Amino acid sequence: MDEDENLEPEPPRSTYDRVVNLLNEAAASSWESQKVSNLRQVQELVVHKEPNLLDNFLDEMLAFQNDKSTDVRKVVVGFVEEACKKDPDVLPKVVANLNMMLSDESVVIQKRVIQAATRLYKVTLKWLCKAKVVDDIMESTWTYMCQLKSRIVSLLDCENDGVRTHTVKFLEMLVITQTYPDPDFPCKEKEVTLSDIPLTLKIARPRKLQEEARQMFETLVIFHGTQHISSVNLMACMQTLSLIAKQRPRFMSQVVQALEALHANLPPTLAKSQVSSVRKHLKITKNMPGAEELGKRQR
Amino acid sequence: MTNDLKVAVVCSSNQNRSMEAHAFLSKKGFRVRSFGSGNQVKLPGPSPDKPNIYDFTVSYEQMYQDLLSKDKSLYTQNGILHMLDRNRRIKSHPERFQSCQEKFDVIFTAEERVYDQVVEELSNRSPVDNSPVHIINIEIQDNHEEATIGAFLICEMAQMMAESEDLDNDIDELLQEFEAKAQKPILHTIQFY
Repeated sequence: MDEDENLEPEPPRSTYDRVVNLLNEAAASSWESQKVSNLRQVQELVVHKEPNLLDNFLDEMLAFQNDKSTDVRKVVVGFVEEACKKDPDVLPKVVANLNMMLSDESVVIQKRVIQAATRLYKVTLKWLCKAKVVDDIMESTWTYMCQLKSRIVSLLDCENDGVRTHTVKFLEMLVITQTYPDPDFPCKEKEVTLSDIPLTLKIARPRKLQEEARQMFETLVIFHGTQHISSVNLMACMQTLSLIAKQRPRFMSQVVQALEALHANLPPTLAKSQVSSVRKHLKITKNMPGAEELGKRQR
Repeated sequence: MTNDLKVAVVCSSNQNRSMEAHAFLSKKGFRVRSFGSGNQVKLPGPSPDKPNIYDFTVSYEQMYQDLLSKDKSLYTQNGILHMLDRNRRIKSHPERFQSCQEKFDVIFTAEERVYDQVVEELSNRSPVDNSPVHIINIEIQDNHEEATIGAFLICEMAQMMAESEDLDNDIDELLQEFEAKAQKPILHTIQFY
């Protein structure tokens, strides 16, 4: 015990060395599981334990975005997400990487990027709202983020079912974030909404964002009514619409209409048990707290 | 591949159906946890109107000792002691699904009421990271034989899922194929953490 006390190392230095070792080992290793484990440890160390080291090792971590292992690349997306949540000043350095990773050949990575973007879009907006002055770097970061947004939105037409599901959740976030909160439905403290966006923010005008939210909502309603929608996406979309109606009652009547149309006319492509699942889901949606109105209208 | 998929199996009391599947899946190498979705743990008693009711905090061992002292021959004969003995070798306590915050890829439920409770619980939670979870119900009657068959079916489906390279894209087809083969109606939905 005494020996340990005598040998007590300087914490910052030792973490730095540990990270260097972990990264070197990961770079040299041909074992996917070792790489993944090392990179996760690095993430824990530089994002949570000693965030002052984050900047030092950001590029080294990003270098793994070209690794041939999907799991390794997935860790990189997770790292980017955590790093930006911890310190939004990292955003300008990684937003281009996110854009690149959205074009990854693996669907797993594409989905993970959409999932990360669903949270980072809000982080970016909040970061802009808090800034005293929006400088060039912030402006170009927002431009990149908007590019990422439009690329994700276009993935609603993607062939892959899972990508579409994640896109639905991204659109849900856009609608909720870019509309004013309802006084009867207090939003969570940390969540950014349109009411947090200063009118003076030139690069993201509240009125434009609100208009975009309205268009995104329309897009969701159209997607929900598509004849050849898969049962998973249909249920994800139903949930999304009812969540939007719950949190933003001004969309309620359109959501009720969409659900009623579905109730009367289910997509012909659904198999028997999928019909049962969807009907059941309609019932659950109706019974969700705050969705009494939906229930009443659906009888 | 089996260790990548995080699986949960839920029945009402986390005793028979979910534990049978838990045992089966973990033998096959799956990362699996099991739960009950009821408010309390119910086990058959001396008559249908007198079930043994426990809290989820009571361990399988304590239930075993309790029933052993109450009526050894009855609970040996109806297989309850044997089941509790199996359960206590797997984990110490029954667990309630609603108290677990861990994220899964797939949640299997053993009856429609349990499916409803799981969906309700997940849909009422505040979103964390929007990672999807598939919830699949297979009706399994609550007796030993059906639990064994049910565990086998769940394992077969989990195996198919683990082998899929892109589960979110393949799941509709996998389930339809499975349903036709197993001749059992299934319910399926997706929720987000």
